[in-house]
Amino acid sequence: MSGRGRYLADLAAGALSVVFVRSAVPHALINTIDTSAAVGMPGVVGVYTGADLGLVNDHIAELHVPHPAFVDATAFRMAEQRLAIMPTDRVHYVGQPLVALIAVDRYTAEDAMEAVDITYSPLAPCLDADAALREDATPIHRHLRDNEAASIHIEFGGLTPDVTADLTVEGTYRIGRHGAVPLEGRGVLARVDARRVSVWTSTQIPHMVRRGICEATGWATEEVRVAVPDVGGGFGTKANVYAEEIVIAALARRTGRDLVWVEDRQEHLVSAAQGRDQTHRTRLAVDGEGQIVHWADDFTVDIGAGGLWVAGVVANTAIHALGPYRVPRARITGRAAFTNKTITAQYRGAGRPEACFALERSLDDAARRLGLSGAEIRRRNLLTAEDLPYPRPLPYRDGVDVVFDGGDYAGCLEAALELLPVEEIEALQDDHPDLQVGHGVGCYLEATGRGPYETGRVRLMSTGQFEVSSGAASAGQAHETAFAQVAADALRVDLARVRVRQADTDLVEHGIGTFASRSAVLAGSAIRKAADEVRTLATARAAELLGAPVHAVELNDGIFRSHIGEPGSGGVGWDDVARAAAPGGAHEELGPLDVTEVFRPQTVTWTMGAHAAVVGVHRRTGAVRVLAYAVAHEGGVEINPQVVEGQVIGGVAQGIGGTLMEEFRYSPQGQPQSTTFADYLLPSTCDVPEVRVRHLGVDTPGNPLGVRGAGESGTIAVAAAVAAAVEHALGDRVQVTETPISPALLRTALRQEQRA
Amino acid sequence: MTVEQTDAPQIQHVRLTTTVNGNVVTVHVPPRLTLADLLRDELRLTGTHLGCEHGVCGACTVLVDGDSVRACLMFAVQVEGRQVSTIEGLEACATTARLKEAFTRHHGLQCGFCTPGMLVVATELIDGSDPRVPLTETCVREALSGNACRCTGYQGIVRAVLDAADPSPEGAP
Repeated sequence: MSGRGRYLADLAAGALSVVFVRSAVPHALINTIDTSAAVGMPGVVGVYTGADLGLVNDHIAELHVPHPAFVDATAFRMAEQRLAIMPTDRVHYVGQPLVALIAVDRYTAEDAMEAVDITYSPLAPCLDADAALREDATPIHRHLRDNEAASIHIEFGGLTPDVTADLTVEGTYRIGRHGAVPLEGRGVLARVDARRVSVWTSTQIPHMVRRGICEATGWATEEVRVAVPDVGGGFGTKANVYAEEIVIAALARRTGRDLVWVEDRQEHLVSAAQGRDQTHRTRLAVDGEGQIVHWADDFTVDIGAGGLWVAGVVANTAIHALGPYRVPRARITGRAAFTNKTITAQYRGAGRPEACFALERSLDDAARRLGLSGAEIRRRNLLTAEDLPYPRPLPYRDGVDVVFDGGDYAGCLEAALELLPVEEIEALQDDHPDLQVGHGVGCYLEATGRGPYETGRVRLMSTGQFEVSSGAASAGQAHETAFAQVAADALRVDLARVRVRQADTDLVEHGIGTFASRSAVLAGSAIRKAADEVRTLATARAAELLGAPVHAVELNDGIFRSHIGEPGSGGVGWDDVARAAAPGGAHEELGPLDVTEVFRPQTVTWTMGAHAAVVGVHRRTGAVRVLAYAVAHEGGVEINPQVVEGQVIGGVAQGIGGTLMEEFRYSPQGQPQSTTFADYLLPSTCDVPEVRVRHLGVDTPGNPLGVRGAGESGTIAVAAAVAAAVEHALGDRVQVTETPISPALLRTALRQEQRA
Repeated sequence: MTVEQTDAPQIQHVRLTTTVNGNVVTVHVPPRLTLADLLRDELRLTGTHLGCEHGVCGACTVLVDGDSVRACLMFAVQVEGRQVSTIEGLEACATTARLKEAFTRHHGLQCGFCTPGMLVVATELIDGSDPRVPLTETCVREALSGNACRCTGYQGIVRAVLDAADPSPEGAP
């Protein structure tokens, strides 16, 4: 807060600047790349194309492969992706890096960029997932037969003739293309010495970045260190391995110079991984009481030119399409398509908000036709304490059969309605005569804390302080606080004695990273295991120092005491244990206390929640304002309630952005239109209301801390709840089927209403 | 592909004398150097963050002669003879200190990238307001509407500013 944070760009002093010349066209063959004019310019150190990088592997491998049991059960298929790190023959989206230019400073580098001349033979761009998946569509990737990036098929229950529904509603629901857009863009710094390359990158997954660099360059793991500085927000777009990370590392070693690339905003909006962009075609059958009889959802995902997490997004979408309800029969199918848009990754929720929107909108549609409220139809379908745990007839991505392990989902909806009752619209309507006010709800289910594992390390330093590290990089999730708390509790010391280091492959050799609401669950549990082990080892050492048997020694408030012998006699502190472990100490030969543990969960834990929204639609303009918002969620044990609440509220803000404002738009020719913050709109202080949060703690035996993930809970049901509230505000004269919600659509409905 | 020339190109430099955080600074800068880059790259005051470099996000907000400006939209040469205060220089400011405490208490930051800009604008808001008239939530939200935060949903930030603005010894409830 005093300007002492150290983000990537703050470390740049002394390094040469790298800028990337990027593709200006969405789909084309590259005829020529002429860098000769740029090379000779004053201040330019070097100009490199993909052919100059000397990579042993010119693309980045997929980052997630589902378990074979999941693949079998869901007929999951995935195409091999070979999007070139810096292509020399063909471009697949505007923003794709083609040339890396090194100069003494960024001003000089940007001047020289203008002198790089690239000529193209344009190809027809493919900008629509449905068009891309048509049988006659030309594949945009030459090594593939079609544009299908992945597909999935889940079916159970079956629609036998004895199954009868009283009402069937069909719909097509679209979730626009939006994304993480953290306030700090990406950035990479590489410093070289004779032995290896050290890379600082604004990432959530340093170990995967190290692997990506090694696979592309052919270097041994020991030749690369990846460290994470302070990160100015990630939300999934930084849980990716990027071409720029590999190019900067490779060029640093090639030139022997320290290099830095700091992404600017325009670059970020065309080249950092995006998200969402799904279409769901649904068919929901209910009985006369509104109870779900059969649910069918066929979806497509536009992953752009590539998405290393396509398996995660497609699987997430399909599994979460089942929702927190009693669904006796379902048929969920989905396909991901390659198009000539920017690459994608797992943006906060990663398939969950999209699936939630489709199911929740369908429920609201059925409710309206049955004359039920949105809350009522959910009450009749939500799982209750009697239903839970609720097994589903399919495995999760990790191969373990899905069992929703919650407390009382119907009770959670009631909690949200208590926080924000429908009656509150009357007062808000009086306060806002220019708006038409309505109330809506949405429910979601979220698998959190996915494996395979995470590493945690706890070290007792010679000062008696502790240092904690893990593979989960912090990008504002307050790991410093939460992880320190976990360790301090296990070590029975004051929080001030524990320091949490930022993720660094030198500190923990193996790790996965921060995404999918997994850090508290996995890294937290690994740190807990490591801290427990440090305590156990230290107790034995303290017993020796005390001259007491181990079983007689207890640790309280940071002091080991023996309950045998003189009461009130002195104890041994962590400082003493640390001193004894140092050279010259009693335990010199045992060495320092330094424990690394791996936590591997058996499977995911499920977090359920309900959102309630009150919105106002401006009577003349159709602009939507969210006036009040509430989230009730079934989390587990909260390590730090303020951190969890902050994650939920921040998630709601991003959900509101995606529902009302944010969209990566493309021209019909494939040119990105959302390339500044004047076009890609982030929600401001005036677009986000106070959010009321209630935490309904439901412990889980799945990890030693009893925690459930919460990082995505705030985002998932926002579009569903806001859409329902908008329809309510307009007296159901409009059906909201798309985000971002178009004020023009609402204006039309308002005019019809005024005429009527 | 590599040329062994790493000298900066010959761009005419301009002599600039300005006061940054109370210290008189004289430097020679290219006319096109932005104030943000002067602060960050030349003076190593990296608390001024760059979130968009086109004047929308507010992360680079600093005070020039007491008024908030976007350091990314101003050229360094425009602060000739003027007083610039960055987040580092507000270390001694009592209002900013109160705000920092309140931000911590109300969880007004997560990643911290927007925080310096938020603190600069909030300091200007509080110090420029009549202390006898309490700030309202609406007023705080409007004053901060030019500063984007992607993490917090603003709730903790708004509460922190209201808290820090309250002159009563206990602060806002």
